[in-house]
Amino acid sequence: MKKVDYLKDHHIEYVDYKDVDTLKKFLTPHARIQNKKRSGVGAKSQRALSMAIKRARFMGLLPYITR
Amino acid sequence: MPITEDHQEIRDAVVYEVGYLVLPSVPEENLPKVVSSIVSIIEKAGGTTLDSEDPFLEELAYSMSKVVGARKYVVDDAYIGWMKFEATPDVVEGIKNSVDKIEEVLRTLLIKVPRETSFTFEGARKARAEKEEALNNPVPEVVEAPLEPEVAPAGPVVE
Repeated sequence: MKKVDYLKDHHIEYVDYKDVDTLKKFLTPHARIQNKKRSGVGAKSQRALSMAIKRARFMGLLPYITR
Repeated sequence: MPITEDHQEIRDAVVYEVGYLVLPSVPEENLPKVVSSIVSIIEKAGGTTLDSEDPFLEELAYSMSKVVGARKYVVDDAYIGWMKFEATPDVVEGIKNSVDKIEEVLRTLLIKVPRETSFTFEGARKARAEKEEALNNPVPEVVEAPLEPEVAPAGPVVE
């Protein structure tokens, strides 16, 4: 069964690095970025997501790793 | 060399956003001073501010450190704020370097963004509070009164 694209479903056109609540949905329990197969978003959105998550990590809004 | 359309495009202003973390040791009443120094850096470089959000204290996901003079600050929380501005690409690097040099600023992030603001911390906080309130006080379901059993119309009983 194909996963629903969360970003399209919620009409999110620009993935903001400050939107931590949305970004957290695309992290694994170890705070790693989910792969495309797991996140269910398109290739372009996956690239935007990973960029936003990396920016949020740099600004201390998201962790690099959790145990 | 004649100015072609490509050259003109490079000269055109682009919308950027500078996100910054301010050291928590800075007293809250001094925060507007830090913000105004960032605004003055942008305006000095010929940029115009479009939108911003005032810094507020936020817990960091990991501890960061900054050395100021002979002192090393290791912090677990910081004031976070952002400012959206319009500027030409050639001055952006200078803006980033100048903001980095402000003593009270712990970290900065300068990125290209769309003109419309789609996210604010304030809006997210409100949405989260509303969601929590809805979870804590669920709307009571309307219980419909059970239908009374139909009473057979009184009439002559035919035996």
